[in-house]
Amino acid sequence: MKIKLIRTGGFIPITKEVETEVNLTDKEMDRLLQVIQRDPVSPRIKDGSYYELTVGSSSTPVDLEKVPDEYKAIFSKLKSDLKIVK
Amino acid sequence: MLTKLMESGNKKIADMAINTNFRSFRFRNDRIFFQQSSLHEKTILGLISKDSGKDIMQMEVYDCRQKTDFINATLLWDTKTNQKLTSVAGKNVIKGGKASWDFYWKLFGRNSIDNKGMLIKQYVHFDKGMDNAYWDGRRMVYGDGDGTVFTSFTSDIDVIGHELTHGVTENEANLDYENQAGALNESFSDIFGIMIKQRFNNQDVKKSNWLIGEKVMIGPKYALRSLKAPGTAYINHPELGSDPQPATMDKYQSLPDTESGDFGGVHINSGIPNFAFYVTAFNIGGYAWEKAGRIWYAVLSDASLAQNANFADVKNLTIVHAEKTFGINSLEVKAVKQGWSEAKV
Repeated sequence: MKIKLIRTGGFIPITKEVETEVNLTDKEMDRLLQVIQRDPVSPRIKDGSYYELTVGSSSTPVDLEKVPDEYKAIFSKLKSDLKIVK
Repeated sequence: MLTKLMESGNKKIADMAINTNFRSFRFRNDRIFFQQSSLHEKTILGLISKDSGKDIMQMEVYDCRQKTDFINATLLWDTKTNQKLTSVAGKNVIKGGKASWDFYWKLFGRNSIDNKGMLIKQYVHFDKGMDNAYWDGRRMVYGDGDGTVFTSFTSDIDVIGHELTHGVTENEANLDYENQAGALNESFSDIFGIMIKQRFNNQDVKKSNWLIGEKVMIGPKYALRSLKAPGTAYINHPELGSDPQPATMDKYQSLPDTESGDFGGVHINSGIPNFAFYVTAFNIGGYAWEKAGRIWYAVLSDASLAQNANFADVKNLTIVHAEKTFGINSLEVKAVKQGWSEAKV
């Protein structure tokens, strides 16, 4: 399935994104999203940047610190491939 | 004895005694007032000399080694042991942290972020190529930059001063991080960040280029923000396009209060109060921190500054504090009014 990682915010607000194909079932993706989704009422970090994962037509705010070990390599690669949206 | 003399039949002696009694009364009351006033109040009244501070800064600098966890970060340097350093980022944040602490202490008698001597914690080399710096409520965190558009976010003192000032703001009005209050939060950080750099480099309002992050952004024509001319810090950048900051209220950008909307454009509309400060400081002349900075600090630390303050609230408070400090018809008050007028607030 196709997923898109989007990063927004920062000292100067820029948007970066990357899209990739991952070999996960719908069930695995649902489970992953449940684990990594970010608390919607978490405090606003001054100059902080934020990640969002888009799967199909739905986007979920995510905390990449919560990514389980077995998916870390995927997200590490995604982060390093992020490109500025012009 | 004095009471008897005040009742003396000799008019000259009675007048002298009454004058003496009046002066003593004022002296006693002044002494009580100054005994009870805070360091901040004394500073605002000009009673603390710039050289009266003592070194009580406490700081720790950690190396995250390009990881994203703070617990396993390595302590690089602290004020107690003052270790020798080879890390450039480490040296940068020590220099910037010291300059920021010194600025607040020597000018305003403010003892660190919380005015209670808070330990300043700075984390460098956070994450791989992170093109950002932030304040998370407890610490300042810096990335190394992506190496293409941005270099290390420790490269400019104004960025370090900016982050530390977020901590100061959080301990004062704690301005909401959204819409106009959020843009003011960002603006206070830019204003104090630029003054910390100007003071470190001994630059007056004419000598300074009023650019934030000119080393952080790669390329001689680029910086992160301009207080002198918001919207011109970078123009036609191959990756970023052009600086979106407005300088005047008629160009205010109404953006959604979401992460992707920069919480209502806190880093965008901050250009407006930034420009008001620049015009004020430039028209007063000399060193920005001596008069304009003093007015803005009085506002930042004013208990009546509401958490959801808007630009007009800060405009009014800067006028009130300029009048209190420099007099109703002073040049400084005129400069403050002119500053906000040019920003069309």
